[in-house]
Amino acid sequence: MADPLHQFQVKPLTPALDFGEVTLPVVGQVHLAFTNSHLAMTIGFLLVVGFLTLVTSGAKVVPGRTQAVGETLFGMIDGLTDSIIGHDGKKYFPFVFTVFTFILGMNLLGMFLSFTATSQLAVTATFGMITFLLVVIIGIRKNGLRFLKLFWPTGAPLVMRPIVGLIEFFSFLLRPLTLTLRLFGNMMGGHIALKVFAGFVATAVIGAAGWFGVLIFPLALGMTIGLTALEFLVAFLQAFVFAVLTCIYLNDVVNLDHAH
Amino acid sequence: MTVQDTSVPYADAPAPVALEDTHATTEAAHGGEHESGGLPQFEFQHWFGQIVYLIFLFAILYWLIAKVFAPRMRRVFDERASTISTAVETARQVQAEAAGQAEAAKAEVEQARASSRATAAAAKARVTDEANARAAAEEAVVAARIAEAETAIGKTRDAAMTNVSAIASDTAAAIVERLTGKGPTAAEAAAAVKGAA
Repeated sequence: MADPLHQFQVKPLTPALDFGEVTLPVVGQVHLAFTNSHLAMTIGFLLVVGFLTLVTSGAKVVPGRTQAVGETLFGMIDGLTDSIIGHDGKKYFPFVFTVFTFILGMNLLGMFLSFTATSQLAVTATFGMITFLLVVIIGIRKNGLRFLKLFWPTGAPLVMRPIVGLIEFFSFLLRPLTLTLRLFGNMMGGHIALKVFAGFVATAVIGAAGWFGVLIFPLALGMTIGLTALEFLVAFLQAFVFAVLTCIYLNDVVNLDHAH
Repeated sequence: MTVQDTSVPYADAPAPVALEDTHATTEAAHGGEHESGGLPQFEFQHWFGQIVYLIFLFAILYWLIAKVFAPRMRRVFDERASTISTAVETARQVQAEAAGQAEAAKAEVEQARASSRATAAAAKARVTDEANARAAAEEAVVAARIAEAETAIGKTRDAAMTNVSAIASDTAAAIVERLTGKGPTAAEAAAAVKGAA
C-alpha cells in the first residue's frame, strides 16, 4: 500500500525553477525552488481572484447565481466582523475576508489536487503568525501600553490576578500555535484518512487481500466516499473557524476598553 | 521519485558525516522513500520558500480585496439598499396618493349626497308650500262662499223676521178686532208685538 504521508512531500517541480540550496543571512540554509506547494498556493490564489472577479465585475442589483454565492460568502464574513468586532468591523473586513477566502480556496483545491497547501505546517503557521502579529500590532498601536490590560483579569479576586494574568498571557502566546495546528491537523488528518481508506480499496481491487478483499472493498469504498463528503465540510468549516477566531482575537484588542 | 531522491542529500547536507551518509543509503535501500521517521511537513529546508511566497500572495490578495473587490461589493450592496428604499418610498407615496384620492372621492360622494338631500328637501318644501298655498286659496274661496251664504241666510232670516213681526201684528190686529170688534191701528199692534217679543 502506498505511503499515506507521501502526499505531503514538498518537491521542486521543474529543474528550471530549482535554485538549489542557498544560505541566507538569518534563516540559514534553505532550498529555494518552485515546488508543488507553491503551485497549489498559486492555483488557490488564482481561483480566489478569478472567483471574486467573476462575482464583482458584472455585479448587478439583482444577483445571478455566481454573484449570489459570492455575496453569501461576503455577507457571511461581513456579518461576522460586524457582530463580533462591532462598528469598527468594516475596517478589518478585508483582512478577515482575505484569510477566509484564501484558506477556503486552498482547502477546497486540496480536494481536487494530489497536494493540499493547507496541510503544510509552513503554510498554516504563516497564516497563524500573520493573524497573531496583526493582532499584536493593532493592539499596541490602538492602545499603547494599555494593551497589557488584556492580561489583567478584572473579574478575578485581587490575589489571584497575577496568576490568572500569567495564564492569560501564555494562552495569548499560544494563540498562533493553536490557529496553526488546528488547521494543519484537520487538513492533514482528513487527507491521511482518505488516503488510507482509498488504499484499502486499491488493496482489495488488486487482490492483495485475497477473498478477504470482497469484504473490505464495499466497506472501504463507503468510508472513502463518506470521508470525501466530510472533508468538503471540514475544508469549509476550518476556513470559517479560522475567520471567526481571527475576528475574536481582533475584537480583544480593538474593543479593549469596552470589553469584559 | 527521482526528484525526491536527489533532494535527500540536500536535506542532510548540513551534516555530511560518514555515518549520516550510510544512514541515508540504507534508508534508500529500504524503500526509496526518504522519510526519516517524521512527517514530510517538518522538513524545514522548504519552509522559507513557502512562507515568503505565501506572504507575497497574501499581500496581493489583501490589496485586491481591500481596494477592488470589497468596494465593488459594497457598492452593489449600497445600490441595492438605495434601490429598495427608493422603491419602498415610491410605493408609500403612491399609496398615500391613492389614499388621498379615495378620500377625495369619498368627500365628493358625501357632497353629492348632501346636495341631493338638499335638493330633495327643497323640492319637498316647495311642493308642501304649493300645496299649502293651494289649500289656503281654496279655503279662502270656500270661506268666502260660506260667508256669502251666511249673509244670504242672515238676510233671508232678517227678511223672515220682519215678515214674522208683520204677520204677528197683523194676526194680533185681527185677533183684537175679532175679540173687541174694533181693530187697533197698525202702529199699536206693531208696538204691542214688539213689546211681547
